[in-house]
Amino acid sequence: MPPLAGKRAPDPADTEASLLARAQAGDVRAFERLSSAYADRLFMLLLRLLGDRGEAEDVAQEVMLRAWQGIGRFRGQSSYFTWLYRIAVNEANRALEKKARRPAGVSIGAHELQLPASPAHDPSRQAENSELRRDLGQALTQLPPVLRTAIVLRDVEGLSTQEAAEIVGVGQAAFKSRLHQARLRVRAAIGDEALIIAGG
Amino acid sequence: MSGRTDDHQWSQQHLSHYVEGELRPRARRRLDRHAWDCADCGRGIRAMRALVYAVQGLDGLAGVRAPATIFDRVRLAGAGGSPSSQNI
Repeated sequence: MPPLAGKRAPDPADTEASLLARAQAGDVRAFERLSSAYADRLFMLLLRLLGDRGEAEDVAQEVMLRAWQGIGRFRGQSSYFTWLYRIAVNEANRALEKKARRPAGVSIGAHELQLPASPAHDPSRQAENSELRRDLGQALTQLPPVLRTAIVLRDVEGLSTQEAAEIVGVGQAAFKSRLHQARLRVRAAIGDEALIIAGG
Repeated sequence: MSGRTDDHQWSQQHLSHYVEGELRPRARRRLDRHAWDCADCGRGIRAMRALVYAVQGLDGLAGVRAPATIFDRVRLAGAGGSPSSQNI
């Protein structure tokens, strides 16, 4: 049956399974096409976890290299996206641990994280949001990497608990516990009143 | 009194699950009953809801593109042969 007007049937050579098979056979271009679909999202995740663009770029290159080097062992037990994200989280945590061992702490770019403008565009409300945005960014950067990863994957990235737990490599109960700890710490850092006022 | 203390501690530990709607009906009713006359837990629920909403709104990176250099190391390594022959 011919494809419906206005819709093109996907090129069989471009399906994820096909690209994966070619990449596993050593085709770099197939690997790039396969991974490009997730590159922007993966880079945003790294920016959120690391907060520094230069470092995120460096780690993103390392993630892709590790994925390329390990793709022969990818057996499809999880989705390719989950597998790639797992590598990204591991590499980001490795970079954060390395950074934590450095003597002088470098401020992580809370300025990169933004809350949406309030629907009413109320200037005073926007100022509150701006302040909350800054405080939230700072509170997130002060979390230990495992807790930051939990809150970024679940609340910022919007992944399900199951997906996020799989990426981190822990059970769902353990992941929920980390998420709860992360939220409690951020809540304590911001303060209930500030949150409730900002939440309207 | 100790029942109330137990309920309070238990509620504080489950606020996160409560706001996500992940508690079973019986557990949810337990927290609802306690929060009804516990100002601390009532405020905790409102604060936790506001926090989750605010963090979900940290979407200022939407539209950010991956750098063109993201595959540079892969291309260098790719010249060396099949990935299955390499170790991470």
